[in-house]
Amino acid sequence: MIKYIAKRLVMLIPVILVTSFLIYWAMSLTGGDPALMIAGDNAKPEQIEQIREELGLNDPFLVQYLNYMKGMLTGDMGKSYVTNKDVFKTFMERLPNTLMLGGAAVLIAVIVSLPLGIYTAIHQNTWKDTAGMIFALFGTSMPNFWLGLMLILIFSLYLGLLPTGGKTGPTSIILPAVTVGFGLAALITRTTRSSMLDVLRQDYMTTARAKGCSEKQVIFRHGLKNALIPIITAIGLQMSLVITGSVLAETVFSWPGIGRLVYDSITKRDTPMVTGSIIMCSILMCIINLVVDLIYAFFDPRIKAQYSKKG
Amino acid sequence: MKTLIAGFCPVTGRTGKEMEEKNMKKKMVLALAAVMLVTSLAGCGGGSSSSGSGSSGSSSGGSSEAAASAGESTEATGAKETLIIGTDADINNLDLQKQQDAANNVILKNTHQTLVFFNNGSAGDDRFVPGLATDWEFSDDTHITMHLRDDVYFNDGEQTPMTAEDVKFTLDMAMENVVASALAGYVSCNVVDDHTVEIEIESYSNEFVQSLASVPLSIQSKKAYDDGVEDPYYIGTGPYKFDEWIDGEYCRLVKVEDYWGNDLPEDDNFAAGPAKIIEFRPYIEASSRVMALQTGEIDVCINPPINELQYLEDDDNIEVYEQTGTRLFYFAFNVSKDPWDNQTLRQAVACAIDRDAVLEAAVYGKGTLQTTILNRGLWGFYDDMEGFDYDLDRAKSLMAEAGYPDGGISTTLSYASGTPYEQIATVIQANLADIGIEVTLEPMETATLKSACVDGTQELFLWRWNEDSKVDFVYRDLFYTGSGSNYHHYADSKADEMIDIVATEKDQDVRLQTAQELQEYLVDACPQVPLYIANLVIAYNKNLRGQYFYGGGNHNWSHAYIAE
Repeated sequence: MIKYIAKRLVMLIPVILVTSFLIYWAMSLTGGDPALMIAGDNAKPEQIEQIREELGLNDPFLVQYLNYMKGMLTGDMGKSYVTNKDVFKTFMERLPNTLMLGGAAVLIAVIVSLPLGIYTAIHQNTWKDTAGMIFALFGTSMPNFWLGLMLILIFSLYLGLLPTGGKTGPTSIILPAVTVGFGLAALITRTTRSSMLDVLRQDYMTTARAKGCSEKQVIFRHGLKNALIPIITAIGLQMSLVITGSVLAETVFSWPGIGRLVYDSITKRDTPMVTGSIIMCSILMCIINLVVDLIYAFFDPRIKAQYSKKG
Repeated sequence: MKTLIAGFCPVTGRTGKEMEEKNMKKKMVLALAAVMLVTSLAGCGGGSSSSGSGSSGSSSGGSSEAAASAGESTEATGAKETLIIGTDADINNLDLQKQQDAANNVILKNTHQTLVFFNNGSAGDDRFVPGLATDWEFSDDTHITMHLRDDVYFNDGEQTPMTAEDVKFTLDMAMENVVASALAGYVSCNVVDDHTVEIEIESYSNEFVQSLASVPLSIQSKKAYDDGVEDPYYIGTGPYKFDEWIDGEYCRLVKVEDYWGNDLPEDDNFAAGPAKIIEFRPYIEASSRVMALQTGEIDVCINPPINELQYLEDDDNIEVYEQTGTRLFYFAFNVSKDPWDNQTLRQAVACAIDRDAVLEAAVYGKGTLQTTILNRGLWGFYDDMEGFDYDLDRAKSLMAEAGYPDGGISTTLSYASGTPYEQIATVIQANLADIGIEVTLEPMETATLKSACVDGTQELFLWRWNEDSKVDFVYRDLFYTGSGSNYHHYADSKADEMIDIVATEKDQDVRLQTAQELQEYLVDACPQVPLYIANLVIAYNKNLRGQYFYGGGNHNWSHAYIAE
């Protein structure tokens, strides 16, 4: 198992290389001169040229990229063009906020979607199933910036129960987490339902009933456990997306996360910040995928045996 | 019995021991979930005082005042202890000379001070008044002798006096940084004595001294840099000092108890304000910012969206303030590109644009139309020229005169994505179709547009210019041959000559006359069509006092507070 984990971690190296190259390349293709953004409106051409020279922006693309990677090898991800702050430090400052929001959102999603997915699967083709699926459809279709604004309107403005945004106290995470979690819940509900439907039709479920297990035991002990693998995959995938894809919710709720950081950096052509952040996000995604794979083994001994064999 | 049933499963075939392990795992999962929830909630708590999760700024001398709760009032003054300002942009860099964003400068105005103070709304000699400098005089065309206050010290905990060495250090350092453009013409600064400097400039300029009112040129402590203090740029001479800046969350300033200007009269520009804490919180999403004001989470909402003003106006606890701004939105030509090098054709286009419709579409009419190219409120502003009002008949006649009687021109209009440019572009596209010009809209990101404009690859474009103090930053930057921001690529020696006269002529009557002629000349040359000046709109708690607004958005909050 340890060898397996080590192998997966080594796989991060090509991921970093490919990701960093693609991002650097994409940023060079987008147009827009960072020196112009830094220099401001009143800058003279010679000052813009000086900034370009200092930042190495006059070098060919490959030279710029190699210089950046040289820094990476020594653990230096560079400094932001805009804030002049260390990229790694800035990312790490924002990371806890994103993990907090992502964790809370996934937790809310799991708490809502697992029971709902199971319930709709058990009551397939009844009005209860239809109601559950309408909820799922609603959650998938609703833009989360709109939901966020509606929640602020109701819970902050009308009821005065929760803050509108910012990170000002323990309650300030509730609305952004519910907003992000609602969309996730819809997807996980659908996955849970379909996975449970597959399992419920298996012969071993009938066997479990035949040997006298209660319906509760049949569903949760024999059914859910076997249905969990696709659900865990879906949760892992969603968690990865939440880390980088919560920019709308982060903007609506003024939540200082990574999504907003990357978005702002792209608009300002802050190449070191964008590249560094996306490399870090790729690493995070790989780690999350690894954790998901390890969780498979936790729930399914057959997979664990396979890992040991591979290791 | 339970164990027996669970342990005899024909599907998994588990033993009782395995089932115990399984129960253990279940407990672990529950515990993990609980930990996730608790850490999520605990982690976001204490945002007001903890720096554990993402603190990126620090104080220049810690302060216990910051720990005080925002709800308490300052008994002596009847002011709420904390003033919270909801900004529309992220604070991204507080190193004065390495940034140029208004969002940063508005904060730095409270912690740092300039040699010259820009008195917004005043005219003549009252417009730029002494700040940290008490007076100045030109000893000849290229030397300015400036006397400094002798009672000023830095907020570094040691009351280090501000001297001529700090001024020289600050100005010299500026020339190495991105703010050098604000100090154009600077050659050197000689220290005459502790409180006198002699500044040498390349050539006489009417506006050099006014440059020294620019926030990034606020005086910094040489000692802090020499001593290797971490983030030395945080140390200023202002009535407030930095307590904490958490990137993306807030920037908190606390009142300096031993501020050098504590005894200044209340109406002095550098007098201390009653609020003990001023906090700036970015609320990027405009609707969220509005609701935060309505719930009382913030006291001031910068730039509320015009289409939501009604909600704020209906709220008894909120006041919506509006005044003419300084930000000019304009439609422009790249005059180096065919056919836009044809002046008559440009004038025809100007006559075809329904600027009333543009104003309505862009800002619901909350702005002022103008004819001249100069930002409203600047010295020498002159708007009485004939210009090119919306007149389709005249437009068609000018089209014919320009050699395009039937139109037949296809072109591209480039602009930054989003409001208000998209609305403006749509109106102009329809307007130009009336005179036979087919316009393809090309929205792009600001950075891309800026590069295209510098490279001269664009044809028609929309842009804005915000300047509230120096006229040379309009004439020279936008219209002088070869200037970096001359996105029109306009090159005209006559205009250049007049721009130089406005910048250097000592006879103010001649200068004013030239300024008016220059504006008339540029309006007629028509490298751009001024559309409107957007109103400054700001909403705040009705108990706000001591606010000092600038049409350009660089408001001064150092005297502001919420009365109780």
